[in-house]
Amino acid sequence: MIDVFSYVPAIVLLPFFSFLIALGVGKYLPKGGAFGGIAATAGSFLLSLWVLATVAGGEAANRTLYTWASAGGIGPTDVELSFGILIDPLSALMLVIVTLVALLVHVFSLGYMNDEGETGLPRYYAGLGLFTASMLGFVVADNLLMAFMFFELVGLCSYLLIGFHFREPGPPSAAKKAFLVTRFGDYFFLIGVVAVLATFGTAQFAGPESFPALAEAGEVAWTPGGLALDTWFTVVGLLVLGGVVGKSAQFPLHTWLPDAMEGPTPVSALIHAATMVAAGVYLVARMYGFYALTPTTLAVIAFIGGFTALFAATMGLVKDELKQVLAYSTISQYGYMMLALGSGGYVAAVFHLTTHAFFKALLFLGAGAVIIAMHHNEDMWDMGGLKSKMPVTYYTFLAGSLALAGIFPFAGFWSKDEILYEALVHGLNDPLLLGGYLMGLLAVPVTAFYTFRMVFLTFHGEPRSETARDPEPVRWNVKGPLTVLGVLAVVTGFINMVPVQKVLGLEGIDLLHLWLDNHWGGIEGLSSHHYGDIGPYSSGSLVGGEVGTVLVGAAVSLGLALTGLLVAWRLYNVPSPTEHTAKLGGIKDVLYNNYYLDELQVWLAYRTEDVAGGANTFDQGIIDGVVNGVSSVSLFGGSRIRRLQSGVVSQYAMLLTLGLVALLLALGVTGGWFL
Amino acid sequence: MTAVASSIPPEWYLLLAAAVFCIGLFGVLTRNDALYFLMSVELMMNAANINFVAFALYYGDLTGQVFALFVIALAAAEVAIGIGIILVLYRNFGVTDVTVPTEMRW
Amino acid sequence: MIEALIGFTFAAAILVLLAPNEWAGRLAFAFSLLPFAGSLYLWSGFESAGNALTGGDIAYATQIEWLEVGGRTVSWFVGVDGISLPLVVLTTFLVPLAIVSAWTPIDARQSQFYGLMLFMEANLLGVFTALDFFLWFVFWEAVLVPMYFLIGIWGGPRRKYAAIKFFVYTNAASLLMFIGFMSLTFALGDSVSSFALPEITGAIADGGLGSFAGLAPETLATAAFLAMFLGFAVKVPIVPFHTWLPDAHVEAPTPVSVLLAGVLLKMGTYALLRFNFTMLPEQASALAIPIAAIAVISVIYGAMLALAQKDLKRIVAYSSVSSMGYVILGLIVFTEYGVGGATFQMVAHGLISGLMFMAVGVIYNATHTRMVGDMSGMADRMPVAVGILVAGAFGYMGLPLMAGFAGEFFIFVGSFAAPALPYAPLFTALAMFGIVVVAGYLLSAMQSTLFGPFELETDYEVGPAPFHDVAPLAVLLVAIIVLGVAPDIFFEMIRDAAVPVVEGVTVDG
Repeated sequence: MIDVFSYVPAIVLLPFFSFLIALGVGKYLPKGGAFGGIAATAGSFLLSLWVLATVAGGEAANRTLYTWASAGGIGPTDVELSFGILIDPLSALMLVIVTLVALLVHVFSLGYMNDEGETGLPRYYAGLGLFTASMLGFVVADNLLMAFMFFELVGLCSYLLIGFHFREPGPPSAAKKAFLVTRFGDYFFLIGVVAVLATFGTAQFAGPESFPALAEAGEVAWTPGGLALDTWFTVVGLLVLGGVVGKSAQFPLHTWLPDAMEGPTPVSALIHAATMVAAGVYLVARMYGFYALTPTTLAVIAFIGGFTALFAATMGLVKDELKQVLAYSTISQYGYMMLALGSGGYVAAVFHLTTHAFFKALLFLGAGAVIIAMHHNEDMWDMGGLKSKMPVTYYTFLAGSLALAGIFPFAGFWSKDEILYEALVHGLNDPLLLGGYLMGLLAVPVTAFYTFRMVFLTFHGEPRSETARDPEPVRWNVKGPLTVLGVLAVVTGFINMVPVQKVLGLEGIDLLHLWLDNHWGGIEGLSSHHYGDIGPYSSGSLVGGEVGTVLVGAAVSLGLALTGLLVAWRLYNVPSPTEHTAKLGGIKDVLYNNYYLDELQVWLAYRTEDVAGGANTFDQGIIDGVVNGVSSVSLFGGSRIRRLQSGVVSQYAMLLTLGLVALLLALGVTGGWFL
Repeated sequence: MTAVASSIPPEWYLLLAAAVFCIGLFGVLTRNDALYFLMSVELMMNAANINFVAFALYYGDLTGQVFALFVIALAAAEVAIGIGIILVLYRNFGVTDVTVPTEMRW
Repeated sequence: MIEALIGFTFAAAILVLLAPNEWAGRLAFAFSLLPFAGSLYLWSGFESAGNALTGGDIAYATQIEWLEVGGRTVSWFVGVDGISLPLVVLTTFLVPLAIVSAWTPIDARQSQFYGLMLFMEANLLGVFTALDFFLWFVFWEAVLVPMYFLIGIWGGPRRKYAAIKFFVYTNAASLLMFIGFMSLTFALGDSVSSFALPEITGAIADGGLGSFAGLAPETLATAAFLAMFLGFAVKVPIVPFHTWLPDAHVEAPTPVSVLLAGVLLKMGTYALLRFNFTMLPEQASALAIPIAAIAVISVIYGAMLALAQKDLKRIVAYSSVSSMGYVILGLIVFTEYGVGGATFQMVAHGLISGLMFMAVGVIYNATHTRMVGDMSGMADRMPVAVGILVAGAFGYMGLPLMAGFAGEFFIFVGSFAAPALPYAPLFTALAMFGIVVVAGYLLSAMQSTLFGPFELETDYEVGPAPFHDVAPLAVLLVAIIVLGVAPDIFFEMIRDAAVPVVEGVTVDG
C-alpha cells in the first residue's frame, strides 16, 4: 500500500522546483520555462486528484513533518513550532481547485505571455511557480503559524507578479499597495497567531490537542489580564480576521485589489480565483471550529461580508474597463463567502469558493483572450461585436457570466442561493445576520446587471473600434483552458444541489455537504456537523417550513438576478449602447472613484509621512542636537580655557607660583597650621 | 667645624634656604631676561641644596649630601642646556627677553 | 583553539598590512577564510550545555593567569557557549564577504584597509569569546580603533565628523559601563578572587554583593545596572542614544557598514545579555516596564525615522535601530523564546542588514549616488543585484522562511505572554507594528529607485554589477534563507544557553 500522504509535500514542492528551474535556467529553456511550470502543476494536479480519491476512500492525515523551532518556554507554557500537513476533505478539495486553476493558468500564459512576445518570461514563470507553491503550502498547513508563513509568501508572490511590468510606473505602485494593504491586515493576523500560541500553547488546526479543540473545552494556558474566555476568543478571532480581511479584499482593506489589475491577466485569474484572495476565506473555513465558538466574531464576519458584497457590486456598475468590473465582482463574491461563513454556512462558503474559483478563473481568462484580441486595450467602450469573431471565448465567457450572475442552473446559482438561504434561516433570529442577508440579496440584481452590462458591451452590438472589427485570433492554448473552465462553470453546481434535495427529498445529491461532513471519512472535529453543533445559530423558517423557505429564497434570488439581467439587456444589448451612468449624477462620480476610499488611504499615507518627517526633524534637531551640543560646549570651553596658554614663560612661572601658594594655603588651612 | 654647624638649630638653615628660594623666585617672576632667569633658577636649586645638606647633618645620614651633589651636577647640565637655549633664542629673535617669543601658544 | 583563531587573525592582519596594495584584497580574503573554517570547526564539535556565565560547560575553554590587579587575577580566559558561538560564526562569515565587497569601492591604501578589517575581526572574536572582564574590555575598546580609522580614512565627505562622533560617543559610554562594572566587582569584596565573568556572576547570584562607596548592596546593584545599561545602550544603539549610527553608516564605506551593522551593533546587545541580564536579572526585571517601553519606542521611532529618509544607507541605518529594539524587547521578557529569539535576531539581523548595506553599496558603485530621488528603474540595468536586494528587503520586512522572520517571531511569541513584563501583550502588539512601517518605507524606497523607467544622470553606461560584487550578496541570501527555513541550527543551542538566564528571574504566579 503506497501512502499517498507522504507525497503531499511533493504537491507543494513540484511548483517550487519549477520556480527554481525557471529562475535559474529559464532563459535557456524553450518558452522561458513554461513547460517546467506546466509539468509541475500537472504533476501536482494529478497528485491532488489522487489525494482527493484517497480521502474519498476514508483516509485523512494530520502529520507533523518538520520541527521548525524546537520546544521552549514562552512564559505561561512551552511551544514547539513545526510544519506539517493536514489532509481532510476541505484541504483535499482545495488542493484540486488550486492545482487545476494553476495548471490552466500556466497553459493560458503560453498564449497570453509567450505568443504576445513578452520579455522576462523566466521571471514570470518563476513567480507563477512560487505563487502556486506558496498557496499549496498554505492549503496543506496543519497549524496556524505555518498557514501564516505561507500566507505571507503568497503576499510576496502577488507583489512580484503584480509588479511584473516593473519598467512602467503603474505596476510597481500597485504591487506596493497590494503588499502594504494586505500587510496591514497581516499585522493583526500575526498578533492573532502569537496570541493563539500564547493562549493554547499550540497552533494546530486538528486533533484533540488542537487550539479549536482546546478552546471548545475551555482549556487555556493563559489569558491576558484575567480576561473572560469568551471575550478573549472574540479578540483573537477578530485579530486573525484582520489578515482575512486584507487578503480576501474585504471592506475596508479591499482597495489593493482593483489596482492589482496592473498585473498580467493570467496572474489576476490566479490571484482572484484560487490563490491569494481565496486564502483568506479558506483560512476562516480551516479554523472554523474556533470561529464557531465566538458568536460576535461570526456576526462581524457576516456583516462585513454582506456589506462588502453590496458595496463592491455598486462600484462595479460604472467601470469602463473589463478587468476592473471583474475585480469588483471578485470583492463582492468573496463578500458572499464571508457572509456564508459568518452566518454558519460553512459548506455554503466552501461551495461558493469552489464554484467561484472556476467561473472567476474562466472570466479572467476570457477577459485575457479578449485583451489579446484587442491588442491590450481593456476599455469596453472600444469593444463590441466580438461575439461572432471569437465564439469559443464568447460562449465560455457567457457561461461564466451566467454563473457569476447566479442564473439557474449555472454553478453560481447553487452556491449563492445556498449562502443566501443559510443567511436567511439563521438571520431570522439575529438582526445583524439579517442585515448581512439583506445586503447580500440587494447585491444579487446589481451583480447580474454589471455582469451582463460587461457581456453586452464586450461581445454584443456593433464593433466600436478598428481593433474590435479585426481582433487578433487566439490559439489553442487560450481556448483549451477556457473550454475546461466553461464546462466546470456549468456543472460544478451539481455537486451540491441542496434545494433539489430539500424539495424533492432526494438523499445523497448534496455531495459537498456529505463530503465536508466526513461522510466518507475525515478528521474528528473538522466536520460541518461538528461546526453546526458548537456554533451559536439556530434555524428559523419562513412560511411553509423548510421546503417553503428554500423555494421562496431561491425564487427571490433568481428573480432578482433575472431582473438585473433584463435591465442590462434593455440598456446595453443594442447596436450602439451609450453610457447610461450619467443618469446617476453625482452618485456616478462617487462610485467611479470607489467612494473615495483610495483617496482616504493615500491621505493617511501622506499624514504618516508627515509624522515621520516631524520625527526626523525632532531627531536631527533635538536628540542629535543634544549630542552635538555636548560636543560644542566642550569645544567652546576648551577654546576659552586654552587662552591661558599665552606663550609667555613668565606668566607660566607666575601661575606655577600661584598654584604652589594656593596648594600651601589649602594644606595649611586643612592641616590647621595657622591655628 | 661639625660642632659649630650642628650647634645651629635646623630652623636657621630652613629660614636661610627659604630666603634664598624666595629671592630666586622673585627673580624668575620679575625679570624678563633669560640670563637672569637662569641665575634665579640656580639660586632656587641651591636653596634646595641647603635643605638637603642641613637635614643630612641633622639626621647624620649622608643621603642628603649625595642628593645635593646630584643637584649640583644637574644644575651644571641645566646651565649648559639653558645657555644653549638662550643662544638659539638670541640668534632667532635678537634679544634674550623671554616674553618676546610667544609662538608656542594656542 | 580559540587562541589560535584570534592569534591567526591578528597575524593575518599584520601580514596583509605589509602586503602590496595590488593583491592585499585577495590575500585578506584568502586569510579570512581560515577563521571562518575555524569557527565551523568549533561549531561542528560543539555540544550545547548551558550558559558559560552561570556554571554551564564552557566549550573550548582556556584559562591562563596573566597578571594581578588589586588582589584579583586577570587571566586569558576564553571559551564559547550557545550564545557566543553563533555570533563567532556570524563574524567570521561576514568578514570574508565584506572583504570581497570592498574590492570594487576601495581604491586607495588597500593593504591598510584590509589589515584593519582583519584586525577588527580579531578583536570582535575576542569580544565574543572573552570570559574575563579585563580581557574582554581590552578587546571591546580595541574594536573602536580600526573602526575609527576605517571610517575616518576611507569614508565619505563628512568622515571626520562621523568617525570622531562614533569614537567619542561610544568611548564615553564605555567609561560609564566600566565604572558600573568596577563598582560591582569592588562591592563583591573578597567573595571573588579574579575578574572571570563566571565567578563574578556566581558570586552575585549567591548574594555576595556588599556595600561599596556608602551605597547599600541593592542601590549599588541598581546603579551599576543603570550605568552598564546606558553604556551598552549607546553601542546597541537604543533611542535616544542612536544618532551616531546613521552618521557613521552614511560616511563609512560599504564593507565597513556591513561589519558595523552586522557585528558591531551586536556587541552592544551581546554585552547587555551577558552583563545586565545574566548578572543582574533581578534589577533588569524590576526595570522591565521602562526598558520594554524604550525598546518599543526604538522600534517605532526608528522605523518612522527610516520612513523620512531619502538616503538609502540612512534608511537601512535607521531600520537597524528599529530591529535592535526587537532584540531589547526579547531580552527583557525573560522567557526562553524571548531571550533565545533576541540572540537569534542578532545573527539574523547581522546577515540581513549586511546584505542590505552590501546591495546598496553595489548600486552606489554603479550610480555614485544613494539618494532616492536621483535614480529610478535600476532593476532594468542590474537585474541580479536588484533581485537580491529585493529579496533582502523582504527579509528585512520579516518574510517567513527568511532569518528575520524567525528572529522576530520568536521574540513576539516569547514576549506576548511573558510573566516578567507587565502589559506584555500591549508592548508586543505595539512593537509588532514595526513590521508594517518597515514594509512601508522599504517598498516605497524600492519602488522609486529600482522600478519604473530607468533614469539616472551619468556620462557613462550603467551595466550589471561585476561578479565579485554580486557573489557575496548571493551567499548572504542563501544563508538568510537557510537560517529562515531551519532556525534550529542556531536556535536550539541558543535556547539551551538562554534557559539559565531566564531562570534568573522568578515571577509570582
